[in-house]
Amino acid sequence: MKGCEDYSPTIQLYVDQELSGEELQDFLVHLEECPSCRTELEAEESLSALLHRSRPLYRAPDTLRQQVLQAVESAPASTPYAPVRLRKHVTAVLARPLRAASRRAHVRLALVAAMILLAAGLLLMPGMLEQANATSYIDAAIEAHRGCLNGNLPLEVQSGSPAVVAAWFTGKVPFNFRLPTSPDGSGQGQVYRLTGGRLVNYKGAYAALVAYQMQQQRISLLVASSSSAVAAGGEVVPSGKIDFHYSKHEGFNVITWSNHGLTYALVSSLPGSGRQSCMVCHQNMADGAHFSAHRDETQLGHSYPLRHFSTATLDRHLPHKG
Amino acid sequence: MSWNHDGAGQADATGVEHLDGLYSYALVLTRNHAEAQDLVQETFVRAIPAMSRLCAGSNTKGWLFTILRNVWLNQLRKWRNGPQLIEMEFGDDLANSIVESSKALDDLYVSRLEAEQVRAAIQELPLTFREVIMLPEYEDLSYQEIASVLDCPVGTVMSRLGRARAKLRTLLPATLKRAGSSEVRGAR
Repeated sequence: MKGCEDYSPTIQLYVDQELSGEELQDFLVHLEECPSCRTELEAEESLSALLHRSRPLYRAPDTLRQQVLQAVESAPASTPYAPVRLRKHVTAVLARPLRAASRRAHVRLALVAAMILLAAGLLLMPGMLEQANATSYIDAAIEAHRGCLNGNLPLEVQSGSPAVVAAWFTGKVPFNFRLPTSPDGSGQGQVYRLTGGRLVNYKGAYAALVAYQMQQQRISLLVASSSSAVAAGGEVVPSGKIDFHYSKHEGFNVITWSNHGLTYALVSSLPGSGRQSCMVCHQNMADGAHFSAHRDETQLGHSYPLRHFSTATLDRHLPHKG
Repeated sequence: MSWNHDGAGQADATGVEHLDGLYSYALVLTRNHAEAQDLVQETFVRAIPAMSRLCAGSNTKGWLFTILRNVWLNQLRKWRNGPQLIEMEFGDDLANSIVESSKALDDLYVSRLEAEQVRAAIQELPLTFREVIMLPEYEDLSYQEIASVLDCPVGTVMSRLGRARAKLRTLLPATLKRAGSSEVRGAR
């Protein structure tokens, strides 16, 4: 039989989330019946909460941030995404000066052929670059979502308050944005709830990762500046002034869209196709009356109601620039 | 020390998102702004060329913290053989780098004060306590990861952490200790 003094080191392990399995069960049982250990635990958790509230300990000066960002940017691409490497390579090739003036005739001929290819390439380039950017953004959003699921990317701010989470990002990401309040389901409590957020790196700059929970499912929303992130490809559904791009990647449903200079990527494992996953949250919303629904089976081949949102409705329900 | 075990993933492959954490760790080690900046710069100078060789699933964060500590230890060795530098006083200059907290605006003043007092108390701790308390509480590193960064056994991390927390409690103003809420820690 273990005495209270034996549990003293265990309290620290519990607070630091280093306990698991039988040890954890054993400790929880002891805690139930031991007021002294509960008091000690409260004191430890209180200290830990105090330290967490003062995060980050210090913030790197902007000059240092700029220097490091420049150094990372100028380094050879270490990104795992092939489309980005291709884009960088193509951009670098295009930037090289042409030196045809003193070449011999056959070199000149080869150059003409190359220029024809280049011209053809330039015609395709905007679409290629846009698609490469969109794929890169989706890949980053999925990677971040995975990090949240497996605990490798823990939340840096934990709160269910949109104001608190948005305020935490202020000054940390190079843009301001506001988060909508989570809608209530019709009489069934909250459909989904905000759980917090953290910073992630996207193309050398900070992007905002906002986390939601819906029953047992976790949903991630990546927000980045449209100057670096693009929403394109997939099944496109215009709604109001916004085009939503639905796609399925690596088993995740992904919805991307751009609005007011920001690009968003919503990643989830909610059941159904990309679009159906969106409806899971929205179909039972208490303010469903704001949504005008009609059937559109011919265009997209789905037999559920498609909802076309007015711009004002979208502004209420989507995150938007602050 | 290998960092190819489970930990922070590859979404943070450039390591820039750990900049605040690395700078904080550098300040905890040096207690000097200029030295801390140099230390972080040198860390990235060494890390960037090697990043492309990191295996998938490598713990970039722990790896960067380890590099930073090794750079600092190397510098210490050089300094011991050369002219001694005087540690700068921690004061107002540091307060200027305090970041805005995640609290709503009306709580901002109180939370700034609170954060300032917490930082001051941490900087009063001996070096071994400063770093062992900073890595789990501010950077969410596990005991195993901390042991790798500090190059010591996990048991040492645990005992040091226990003593560091006890010492920190004595250094914190009583008002702060009372104000500590029962906020539950998030998942690591």
